[in-house]
Amino acid sequence: MLYVERRPEKLIDENGLRTDGRRPREMRPIKMEVGVLDRADGSALVEWGGNRILAAIFGPREVHPKHMALPDRALVRVRYNMAPFSTPERRKPGPDRRSIELSKVIRNALEQAIFVEKYPGAAIDIFVEVLRSDAGTRVAGITAASLALAEAGIAMRGLVAACSIGKIGDVIVVDPGHDEDMWGDADMPIAVMFEDRVITLLQMDGPMDESQFNEALSLGMSCCELVYELQKEALRRPFVFVERKVVGGGQTV
Amino acid sequence: MNRSEVYVKDREIVIPGQKIAKGMTPGDNVYIDKEGFLRSALLGLASLEGNKVDVIPLASAYIPKVNDLVVGKIEKISGGTILVDINSPFTAVIVPPRNNKLGLEVGDVILAKVKAFDGMSSPLLTLEFEGLGKISGCVLLEIDPAKVPRVIGRRGSMLNILSSKTGSEILVAQNGFVVVKPRDHRSLMAIMRALEVIQEESHISGLSDRISKLLDTILAGGS
Repeated sequence: MLYVERRPEKLIDENGLRTDGRRPREMRPIKMEVGVLDRADGSALVEWGGNRILAAIFGPREVHPKHMALPDRALVRVRYNMAPFSTPERRKPGPDRRSIELSKVIRNALEQAIFVEKYPGAAIDIFVEVLRSDAGTRVAGITAASLALAEAGIAMRGLVAACSIGKIGDVIVVDPGHDEDMWGDADMPIAVMFEDRVITLLQMDGPMDESQFNEALSLGMSCCELVYELQKEALRRPFVFVERKVVGGGQTV
Repeated sequence: MNRSEVYVKDREIVIPGQKIAKGMTPGDNVYIDKEGFLRSALLGLASLEGNKVDVIPLASAYIPKVNDLVVGKIEKISGGTILVDINSPFTAVIVPPRNNKLGLEVGDVILAKVKAFDGMSSPLLTLEFEGLGKISGCVLLEIDPAKVPRVIGRRGSMLNILSSKTGSEILVAQNGFVVVKPRDHRSLMAIMRALEVIQEESHISGLSDRISKLLDTILAGGS
């Protein structure tokens, strides 16, 4: 069947609900799990609305080719890749302009959180694979990669939580979905090292005035806080399970 | 002098960036932020001893340190150098002295000492100390380098339990390679299972007791 994308008549209806039934300040459901890949040093799977994003970490490991190694810090490499089946229509496999840019953006967002000076001459390779995309893949990717880095035992200043904020007409909405990403007026992905309140990624696509920007930024911080809480829980969960198995019964941490 | 504050319990799991304490001495894997909070740099277990705060890693790669005893596997012999896999991001090298054949072959397991490592070029190993060299007739197992202290235990207690119960010789190197000279098949199976359990459950107290029991059951013929 031919897939035709159609713009919904209204992105926000008369009851103030968005196309997927959410209110303007309601996020999509998020599920996180770490340690999903046995062969990688660290891994995480994030299900964020319709997004399915797998992040894997290899490292610290030897740099190949050798001349790329940095004498004073680790080389952080990121590959963001979308699977051919991740989009409504088949996507040509391989890197394109967009995924090269996102790889760089994600690297910049994460590199500041890593103690790169602890691993001179080594490489930390981060793979972000988008299995299914539904708007906001870069923020979900950063969230997943940050979890995977922690699970790999890489020294970090803190976890990076990320979220996207959108604008429809004059309404600021959190965590835009597919329709809002396609036909909304603006969107603004934010990544924060939440414990320090240091913003490591801030992009804006579309116009916003100053008061809208400030509203979006403070909403973004609140959303990142939520994401951060989920990240902490996801990292602790495997250990809680083992503890329950060993100590037994209904005892929890 | 500031009063010290602690925000976590001893042996609690901490997340990178989590505040652990204020006004105490930072130990391993702990950093101080601008406001003077001691924060974890890793996913690990907080360890509070007196005034000192450490974070025990739950997973890590082996980064060579000078004078570490490591077990390695010969990977390649080419020209003047021998390349050794030491379970690390870095492949180690041995440069044999002139006119001195070490008699090593690809696949051999060796015990060596780290002679030099600058973080950039390959770590240099040496065999020129008493007791170092090729180890034969043994099984090479691999554990997470972060769990080496757990497998050894406090003053070698865990290692003692493992070797005395199974009647086997066990050598745990800093880099996470474990060399076992087992008494028999069953004791090897017991050791392998015990190492698995130590890696999985090391963050829960009472580990030695559980390992003791586990070894007893396996050696008695259970599973």
